[in-house]
Amino acid sequence: MNVSIKDSFKKDAIYSVVSWIALLSLYFIFNDHGIQDIITKVAILGLFAMSLNILIGYLGLIAFGHATFFAAGAYTLGLFLQSDFIIEYNIGSWSIPIALSLSVLLPGILATIVGVICIRLREIYFSFLTLAFQMIFYSLILALVGITGGDQGLMGGFPKPPFLGIDLGIHFHFYAFTTFIVILAVFLMRQIIESPFGYGLRMIRDNHERPAALGFNIRSHQLLAFIIAGSLAGLAGSLQALLDVGAYPEWAFWSKSAEPLFMILLGGMQTFLGPLLGALIFELLNDFVSANTRYYGLILGLVILIFVLGFKKGLLDWIVIRGRKN
Amino acid sequence: MLILKNVTKSFGGIIATNDVSMKLKPGSINAIIGPNGAGKTTLFNLITGKIKNDAGQIFIEDKNITGLSELQITHLGVARAFQITNIFPSFSVKESITAAILAKNHGLNNIWKRFKDHPAQEESKNIAAITGLDEVFNIQSDELSHGDQKLLDIALALAMKPQVLLLDEPTAGMGSEERWKMINRVKDLWKKTNMTLVFIEHDMDIVFNVAQKIYVLHQGEILAEGSPKSIKNNQNVIDAYLGGGQKKNEST
Repeated sequence: MNVSIKDSFKKDAIYSVVSWIALLSLYFIFNDHGIQDIITKVAILGLFAMSLNILIGYLGLIAFGHATFFAAGAYTLGLFLQSDFIIEYNIGSWSIPIALSLSVLLPGILATIVGVICIRLREIYFSFLTLAFQMIFYSLILALVGITGGDQGLMGGFPKPPFLGIDLGIHFHFYAFTTFIVILAVFLMRQIIESPFGYGLRMIRDNHERPAALGFNIRSHQLLAFIIAGSLAGLAGSLQALLDVGAYPEWAFWSKSAEPLFMILLGGMQTFLGPLLGALIFELLNDFVSANTRYYGLILGLVILIFVLGFKKGLLDWIVIRGRKN
Repeated sequence: MLILKNVTKSFGGIIATNDVSMKLKPGSINAIIGPNGAGKTTLFNLITGKIKNDAGQIFIEDKNITGLSELQITHLGVARAFQITNIFPSFSVKESITAAILAKNHGLNNIWKRFKDHPAQEESKNIAAITGLDEVFNIQSDELSHGDQKLLDIALALAMKPQVLLLDEPTAGMGSEERWKMINRVKDLWKKTNMTLVFIEHDMDIVFNVAQKIYVLHQGEILAEGSPKSIKNNQNVIDAYLGGGQKKNEST
């Protein structure tokens, strides 16, 4: 069956709406704030991991410093909402939409600067250069105590004025809004991945030397992918800051960049929603295992070993491949 | 028309091509032969801008392309297929050719359309048909036979709608029957598209039967050039490359 452009786009739009309705239903099925917050966290971490998977799964570049942009988004949102700018210019109810927009824009600009330098390299050199930038960013957060709060992070909370009838102070509003933004971002990501641009990324991943002989400039393509991934990580960071009402320097530490890598390993990098499933597994492990044992790291390591050595791929990749064989 | 004027390239102290000049007629089919290390692939790399020449000039039609990047030269109408198959393993034949068509037209920058619904998919069918890949159109590239992978490499180059097509050993790694099948397909392509075709080849039967003009490279220099007949009878070529066997065949 031939599917027209509108049809395949519409199909994903329908999936997105259905997914959001399903998530809203879960809110009422699990009438427990703890579980509802886990779903919110999984959505945010899933977005973070999926943004990294643009680079790893589709472009073939393993970035070790992706949390730079996550933290940049969180601090952008927090600093903007705490600033006098909002009162001076009477922004009031628009402060949250503007803060979220800036949390996409500024990490995007940061990703442009970092990306211009990093994408000149490949493989381990690329990976470690992104890590080097992350450690510079982390050091800056610690050093600029007057602005960032140093090692204490952004303290004192920040206002969340209602806008367009949405009051993020109300638990259900926050849940519905966060899941809506994540689904919108995932839908946008899906469009990018399934577009000619997304196939350009796959070409570079498969064979980075051949594209030049086809008149395809891979450098600008890689940079744009890096900016998109950074901006989306910034959005995830800003949602995390809204959830935790703060921003913390450890979000810019190297171990934070390892988290989405683990999620991708657990869920799979070859399937679009693999990292989201990975985020669910990661968060469940985090919440339930750490509640029962102090050997969380050991358990996480063992689970990753089982996935890598047992399945030889992430869970969703394994399921999809098995499904195709059958 | 592709013209090379006194093109020279050396790597460190080793001269890879030395003062090479060529004038290839539009729509002609040409072969470059020579022993391993003669500088044949280096010459292709120089023409396509993959490496820069130290001296000399290269023209397409009247345009001087010396010093231009590989990207610029590709957009000016020079395409190539590689000695070692150079494809996109996770792409199907259909996706590979469509992506190549889009690359040529800067269509890979589009994020608003869906790749799988792009009109270029239709155009890719035509290229698959003329390269004989229509039967494996939906097969993933890394599952194709060696011969089909070589054809796909050529199909990617054809998607560029080139004026000049460079084929680096299109029959490498094939058996005798498969080699002739491939070269006949290449010849058919050349007839249908009217482009200037240059191929590197080690099988002399193929070269003498297919090429209109042959250039013999030896130690980076042009040892001889001319029609298949003149090359066959050129004593310098026989001594340096074809060897006694060729001379004996001629006499019989």
